[in-house]
Amino acid sequence: MFETSSLFILFLTLCATGTAFAVLLPDRRNPTALALIASLEAAVILWVSGYVLLTGRVFQIDLWDILSLGTMVLRMDGLSALFVFITGLVFLPVSIFSAGYMKKYLGRYSLKSFSIFYHLLFASIVLLLVASDILSFLLTWEGMSILSYLLVNYEHEKEKNTSSGYLMLAMSEAGTLAAALALLLLARGAGSLDFVSLRSASTVLGESSRWAIFLLSFFGFGVKAGLIPGNVWLPRAHPAAPGNISALLSGVILNLGLYGIVRVNADILPVSQIGPGLITLIVGTISALVGILYATIRNDMKKMLAHSSIENMGIITAGLGAGFVFTASGYPVLAGIAFTAALYHMINHSLYKALLFLSVGAVDSSVGDRNMDNLGGLIKVMPWTGLFFLVGALSIASLPPFNGFVSEWLTLQTMLQSAALESTAVKIVFALCGASLALTAALAVTCFVKAFAMSFLGIARSAKAEKAIEVKRSMMIPMGMLAVSCFLFGILPTYVIPVLDHTISPLTHESIADELVPPFFTVVKGDPKFSDAFVSEFHDLGAQTGRDILPGRGLVVLHRGTERNPVVFAMSTSYTVVMLALLLGGTFILVRVLTKSRTVTKKPAWDGGVRRLLPEMTYTATGFSNPVRVIFEAIFRSSMFDDKKETIAVHFRTAIGNERKEVHIMDRSVFQPILKGIRSIASLLGRMHTGSVNIYAAYVLISLVVVLIIQALL
Amino acid sequence: MFKWVLKGLKTGIVTTLYPDKDESAPGASPGLPVGQKDNKEEVLSVVSRCPTGALSRYDHQITVDYELCVHCFRCVRRIKDPIDWQNGYEWAASTAESAAGGHKLGKAFRRSLHIRVVDAGACGACLSEIEQINKPYYNMHRLGFFITPTPRDADVLLVAGPVTDHMRMPLKKAYDAMPTPKGVVAVGTCALSGGVFGPSFASGAGVSELIPVDIMIPGCPPPPLAIIHGLLVMVERRRSSSLTSPKSQAEGRHHV
Amino acid sequence: MIELNGNNTLIFSDLPEVIAKRWHGQVRASLDVKEFLCLIECEASHVPDLCNWLFSELGYSLASLIIEELPSYWLLRYVFYGEPGSGQIHVSLQSSKSEKTIPSISRFVHTADWFEREAEDLFGLVFEGHPRLGDFVLHEEWPEGVNPMRTAFDASCPYIHRELDPDWRPHRIVKAPGAFMMPIGPVFSDAAESAHFLLETVGEDVIRTIPRFFYKYRGVEKIAEGRSIGRALLLSERFSGTSAFAHSLAFCQAIEKIFRIDVSVRVRALRIILAELERLRHHIAAIAAICNSTAFAVATSQASILEEEALRLTCTLTGHRYLFGLNAPGGLSMDFSEQAFRSLADAVYKLFNKLSELKEMLRFSSSFLDRLEEVGIVSRELAFAYGLVGPIARASGITRDLRKVLPYSDYENIAFDVPSEQEGDGYARLRLLFSEAEQSINIIRKVALSMPEGEVTPPRFEVTPGSALGWAEAPRGATFHWVRIRGDGRVGRYRLTTPSFTNWHGFHLASEDFAFQDFPIIMATFGLSNAECDR
Repeated sequence: MFETSSLFILFLTLCATGTAFAVLLPDRRNPTALALIASLEAAVILWVSGYVLLTGRVFQIDLWDILSLGTMVLRMDGLSALFVFITGLVFLPVSIFSAGYMKKYLGRYSLKSFSIFYHLLFASIVLLLVASDILSFLLTWEGMSILSYLLVNYEHEKEKNTSSGYLMLAMSEAGTLAAALALLLLARGAGSLDFVSLRSASTVLGESSRWAIFLLSFFGFGVKAGLIPGNVWLPRAHPAAPGNISALLSGVILNLGLYGIVRVNADILPVSQIGPGLITLIVGTISALVGILYATIRNDMKKMLAHSSIENMGIITAGLGAGFVFTASGYPVLAGIAFTAALYHMINHSLYKALLFLSVGAVDSSVGDRNMDNLGGLIKVMPWTGLFFLVGALSIASLPPFNGFVSEWLTLQTMLQSAALESTAVKIVFALCGASLALTAALAVTCFVKAFAMSFLGIARSAKAEKAIEVKRSMMIPMGMLAVSCFLFGILPTYVIPVLDHTISPLTHESIADELVPPFFTVVKGDPKFSDAFVSEFHDLGAQTGRDILPGRGLVVLHRGTERNPVVFAMSTSYTVVMLALLLGGTFILVRVLTKSRTVTKKPAWDGGVRRLLPEMTYTATGFSNPVRVIFEAIFRSSMFDDKKETIAVHFRTAIGNERKEVHIMDRSVFQPILKGIRSIASLLGRMHTGSVNIYAAYVLISLVVVLIIQALL
Repeated sequence: MFKWVLKGLKTGIVTTLYPDKDESAPGASPGLPVGQKDNKEEVLSVVSRCPTGALSRYDHQITVDYELCVHCFRCVRRIKDPIDWQNGYEWAASTAESAAGGHKLGKAFRRSLHIRVVDAGACGACLSEIEQINKPYYNMHRLGFFITPTPRDADVLLVAGPVTDHMRMPLKKAYDAMPTPKGVVAVGTCALSGGVFGPSFASGAGVSELIPVDIMIPGCPPPPLAIIHGLLVMVERRRSSSLTSPKSQAEGRHHV
Repeated sequence: MIELNGNNTLIFSDLPEVIAKRWHGQVRASLDVKEFLCLIECEASHVPDLCNWLFSELGYSLASLIIEELPSYWLLRYVFYGEPGSGQIHVSLQSSKSEKTIPSISRFVHTADWFEREAEDLFGLVFEGHPRLGDFVLHEEWPEGVNPMRTAFDASCPYIHRELDPDWRPHRIVKAPGAFMMPIGPVFSDAAESAHFLLETVGEDVIRTIPRFFYKYRGVEKIAEGRSIGRALLLSERFSGTSAFAHSLAFCQAIEKIFRIDVSVRVRALRIILAELERLRHHIAAIAAICNSTAFAVATSQASILEEEALRLTCTLTGHRYLFGLNAPGGLSMDFSEQAFRSLADAVYKLFNKLSELKEMLRFSSSFLDRLEEVGIVSRELAFAYGLVGPIARASGITRDLRKVLPYSDYENIAFDVPSEQEGDGYARLRLLFSEAEQSINIIRKVALSMPEGEVTPPRFEVTPGSALGWAEAPRGATFHWVRIRGDGRVGRYRLTTPSFTNWHGFHLASEDFAFQDFPIIMATFGLSNAECDR
């Protein structure tokens, strides 16, 4: 107990030290100091949260009492520890990366203030996650929001960035307001602001309060998580932010929105109706689909990744929604599986998205351009960055043996578990959402084939891309760390899921570890799921012996425990990777042996015999994704932005404009109508202000009469 | 769609039986002039009528240089004593280098040969005849010959045309892109010698100037059966013809 | 009678008077009533105005631009032709050798665009007012300032190796972000003729086509110079093997005009039969190619069977599958028996039946028609502005056909229809091929069954210097051959204007704003020959 909490204090002290150093050190030395101290901070906090995760020993620090508002409490339980752990996992490589990356700002922007904000942001995020009362939660939430705004808007001299920053801040504040309302509604009944007392008091809340709390918290925190409709800030904030901050934004800060949703709707006030669960599921699914569609057609790598973050947040939310539905329908095990899938996906997303943003940052700092139309052929000049980006792309496209596959697979399987539910309508919703998520997964592959192929393969389409050089080792190592984590989380789900189970079982009151990762080849006699006849037949087959050869928990299994068909879904990425290695290695050796005596000559790709294959004769990113744009025309509604034709004497054309632009569907269908409404109301009001004294006097008179009439009527 | 199936069945098989049996349908081949041993003066006068110098008088005989003959019929029509005319189609011949080199392609190619066609400035007739070998009457697929979209998969390059200046690089690139072992078949008089066009400022004197040729198919244009014969010679399923008389080559060509 | 823009009409014979009035006598015009030709001579400054007047007010089409480098001056001849009864007009312009700038007419008569670009490459002339959009006949590695059609250039010299300019770029005009060029060719993935297309696009749709032809440029016009008529004849029939007879016919007619050779009625009738036989075979091959482009294998096979039958029929009749070696100035190289005509008539009748059956079956194959209908549309206005000829123009509603407009070889004595369609899409072009093939069969049967007697061997003629224009309606459209014979009886200038050249110019009208996958189909429905275009 003492150890962890004092280590936590050490973390806070380190943050303070880092801030002090940042103030004292000159700009030139700041990045290195930042990297050293921040990675130390990350290591400490990883140790603390990892200890809590593995042992399950919760620690609590009571801070000072505040008059009439109760005690401020810091408490790290399993859920907090999980989020803190992910935060540390992302902060560690990002901090190391910053040392090399931030040098490009030297002399242009203040590195001092960057470091100060960075340490404070880290501290505020961790404090937010361990805050266990409403006051400290809201305080740290605000601190985190403002600090992240300051960091995103770091390149403040660019006008576009400032407006994106303001949008981010404004939407974040609107979300905070809604979330704060939800928390206050919760607190109304409890009489205390402490989460523990809130939890005990929540059972007495009425239906309408529960709905209000759910809607306010879901859409309030949803803004921070980048869910529709409050997602429009994200694709604008990312291109503005420096590469390392983008990695934090997608890898850490978006998670905080999810944390809020989970904390309120799964922990403090567990969802008790199917309705909120379905809303969560549908919003998540639509976010995922809309996110990936826009990601596919965007050519700015950061915008593409931002939209893809919306997609992944959507997938996670859909998983959470499925969990809520299962909880409300009384299937705690299925709910546990759904939550596991969702949180696993969240870990994975943090890892690969941070990796992708760091590699995009590396590309950006080396090439000076993020538009995929102008890149191409980077693998030749930046082989390591290319490799790491490829790992990230394979992970995010959910291809085994990387981590995205495991969680995406579990999420889709969870959708299939809806067969257990009674209501047909709910089943149909699940089926539609499952299909949409599958489409999302397919589009994700398209999107990242495009991202990798258009940027790293082929011929360089600009001089900048041709002359790019590989980044420094200090920037490659953190990418490598994240890439290795992506691989490990992909092949070792059987070790991750039990840990997640520690976090989730307090919420669902059921352990799912045996359900998802049963001991390998083990069927125990007397298990109520299986008949004795089956078990003995299983034993006779010698299956039990596998247990002695292959240790540990070997498979991820979704039991659909019928007697005839005891195991339906089973998967082991660990053994898949062994098989993959054997197959690939075997093929390689076979080819080598068979073609030993032959000479292999390498020749350039066949180009149809053109004189010279020019870079402008190869597919651009726009061209690659244009079919998607055409197929989903109904959603994009892209309008011809520029279609002028310049001609000399009618038939000699000298220029053809053909630029299409699309307004994001949320902007088009939600925010623009709202803005338009507000503007028209404002203009109506404006009409009343004629400036004539007589008219104003008349207004006074009319109001007086109206008030009197109301008075009389009452 | 059903009626198309029915129509196809009703049409039956029209494909030639060559190379198992000789094709004797009228109009399948325009034929070629053949040299004569006769030394009558009138016959020798036809030599002067040849506009491309394909006919030459050698040792009281007329020899025909098939690399130059363009089927103008001036040696058979409107003259009293026309040159002899043969109506066959097995005209393809291995080049001297290829014959000396022995088996160009291995046995594995005998029943599966992938062909890339390159138009190096052909007039269209040769290409039209090459297209015919892919069509029902000749159907080269039954012999294991296939046209492939890229030279990367091709075993044989089928070249027609005198090789124009602008097609030199594409032709060379296509040849270089092919994996070894590879063969080159020159189709038509233009591809053999430049025909009526070359050599000039814009076109060369045939394919062999640029890349080594293994099989030469004379004719202007060679009929589809001659092209099939050429491909069969390439994979050694048919004997090379002895049409190209070495003597006329040795004397060298001259253009009028 | 020439329809003017209003309801006024102008009698052809009044042209000189009208022109003299309009240009106050600065433009001289004279009539050749026998040839139905109006020769206009004028200064360079009047040419654009005059051509614009002929094109936009009198409705004449530009047939060709003939440039000759004579010892003391440049002679430019703009050839126009119109509706039946409006004859042909030659606008001739003499320009001194030192003057290299000629006013461009392509701003008014867009047909002249490629003629002027070609002349710029080959003669080094500069057409003032032409935007010069990139290189044309001579590709980027051709040395600047070397113009092969100049008399001083030695055609027999072998080409020299030329270094490629590393900074050379095709001229792009699509300005959208992410736009790129999709290269097709020059070596196609099929047994297609060499040509290179760069499709400017942002993906999916073709926004602009950059055609790059002349990969097969054999310099026919240049190498014909100084050759004997007999060897030039070989060039005329062999530069485009799939329309050999029509081109040799146009060449022979030019020679016959120069030497004033009277061609017997039998030869004229035979030439009609052979020309129509060639048209029939060409159209069947084009139909097969269209079926092939839509990957409709059964129909392709059926059409190909007919094509091979037509080839064999041609070979049995004439000894050559592509009608090589038949035409000669003043006659033909062989005569045919009555028996041959009767069996020809029978054979084409059988072809007619099979073709009609194929047409009916295709008409009801919806999946096939889906690929053709409303694909590759050329409007009548644009077809006229670009001066398109042949089946492509007739599928867009322009009915001009040299067999009717400027009848040759006794076509005026034969009753036949010039079919036309209005839609201008791929299907209209396919229907037109069928109707024209049927018309050709009708003509063949009519002529073959009433063959006049006569001699086919060319008469002896005296070789005199001179020049003349010969023309014919080749299977792909109007072709014009200008031949000048020198004093020594050899060819001094041989100018070839081919339908493929004229029509490729308008190809982009059809191919743009359609998806990639429609491109090969549009190409097949155009059915043009690069050998004929490149020469």
